[in-house]
Amino acid sequence: MEAKKYWNPYLAGVLLGLVLLATFLVTGGGLGASALPKRLVALGAMTTAPEWTASNPTLGHYVEAGNPLRNWLVVEVIGVLLGGFIGALSAGRFKATVEKGPRISTKGRLGYAVAGGVIMGFAAGLARGCTSGQALSGGALLATGSWAFMLMVFAGGYATAWFVRRQWI
Amino acid sequence: MTDIFPLVFANEEIRLLTAIVLGFGFGFALERGGFGNARKLAGQFYLHDMTVFKVMFTAILVAMVGLYTLVGVGWVDMARMWVNPTFMWAQIVGGFLLGIGFIMSGLCPGTSVVSAASGRWDGLVTIVGIFVGTGVFAVAVDLFPALESLYSAGSMGASVLPAVLGLPTLPFVLVVVLVAGMAFIGAEAVEDTFRARRGEVEHTPRPVPLMKFGLAGALGLVLVAGLGLAPAPRADAPSHRALEAAPVAPMTVAERIIAGDPDLMIIDVRADAGERVPGAYPVALDSTALPVLAGAGETTDVVIVDADGSLEAIPTSWPDRPRYRVLEGGWAGWDGQVLTAATPTSARADELERVRYQNGVSAFFSGAETQAGQVAAPPPMIPSGGGGAKPKRGGC
Repeated sequence: MEAKKYWNPYLAGVLLGLVLLATFLVTGGGLGASALPKRLVALGAMTTAPEWTASNPTLGHYVEAGNPLRNWLVVEVIGVLLGGFIGALSAGRFKATVEKGPRISTKGRLGYAVAGGVIMGFAAGLARGCTSGQALSGGALLATGSWAFMLMVFAGGYATAWFVRRQWI
Repeated sequence: MTDIFPLVFANEEIRLLTAIVLGFGFGFALERGGFGNARKLAGQFYLHDMTVFKVMFTAILVAMVGLYTLVGVGWVDMARMWVNPTFMWAQIVGGFLLGIGFIMSGLCPGTSVVSAASGRWDGLVTIVGIFVGTGVFAVAVDLFPALESLYSAGSMGASVLPAVLGLPTLPFVLVVVLVAGMAFIGAEAVEDTFRARRGEVEHTPRPVPLMKFGLAGALGLVLVAGLGLAPAPRADAPSHRALEAAPVAPMTVAERIIAGDPDLMIIDVRADAGERVPGAYPVALDSTALPVLAGAGETTDVVIVDADGSLEAIPTSWPDRPRYRVLEGGWAGWDGQVLTAATPTSARADELERVRYQNGVSAFFSGAETQAGQVAAPPPMIPSGGGGAKPKRGGC
């Protein structure tokens, strides 16, 4: 089956914005993504070193109320997984492949992807959120730090793009 | 018109059902927008495909206009909304690092989930990397004090741009919409300049101009309606609101401090106090007190210590969220009932037991005090915790 075209970006943006607005009105907070890795790490740490976890500046408040996975944002990310899967499947886009430019090997691309993931995990810890929780949700709330974060994400991306161009173009 | 939003369902099953439904919408919209494809997202940083900017900013505009219009007409209580607390330096450094990781992976934490869900191996290994990085940060912030101070650096509490810039909210929102609209036009001109780089990656269709103007017009209409319907600010708006909850007894506070109750926060409004209740934050009555009070959640009891417990009202600028209660008798009550040893009023067994217990509590605090005036008891609820107010938040 020929894959459907991507949506018009402004239409996709309107739908995303309405989902975010509904989230604000229903939960009193925004959407997120890095809460899942944070809380899974907190769960792992809690089972191996409970005292260290409780006193850790970033993990401590996740384990205060018992199981760190009993959380709105964790379930929401499971919803994202389902939504992404159904979206790709119904558009004929579900495919086990690796997205990369023509000038890089698959291994090289996967190496960059892991390294980028490690940096983003660290960064989302430091910034208390990622592009979903800070830039998108905090941005729509006009939170001061979220706008600083968003501008710096673009700055970091543009500053690094030239060095990793072989991967993409 | 009253504050009906946010709804915040009490029933956990309903709450988690909304999480699945809204998360599904989030993932579906991201996938259909092209956000499951790392190569397409990377196009943002080589200027030939500005889909990231267009989708993200359209979403921000729609949610922002919708929310602040509802705030303007009085349907949303902004005080009950969780606004990402600002830690300026942590977010500047973290944002820059995340940008570096973004262009290396081609995905961000949210889109890596969508990418993996559409079968892409690069999305899956990005998720693995994010787990590793999350663990590394949690260990590193514990090991290196410099990283921990960066994590809390530049704390401004729940700060929003219009307040920082001293501008009224709705006109500010209108300006953001106008600037973003011009940026969309600019982004498409940039895309055309760099179109030679597109390669075989599918390009997202350009909307007809009518649609863009339709969108802008709709947002503008909503805003103007919001401005028109907004209740006029009352000139005689009270600067203080009465404390409704009953005063809390010093002994009760003492017991909760000893128990390390996380739902207790103590603030001391006396200007020049020599001694304070252990763990109390000094907060001036005329301050906005945001950095401290932003850390108080819905279930937090904020106990206010004044000189004699006569405080009846607090500034309306303080957040609505926590429960404020004055300490019975103020500092004098604390000094008399907790720091001073009690004497039995009769020889009955229960009275003697009460006095023995109370003197044990007194010894805890007066003993703690003699250590060169240091605050020895565990401080109640540190407000600078990651993510702040509600424990359910703090992720991304």
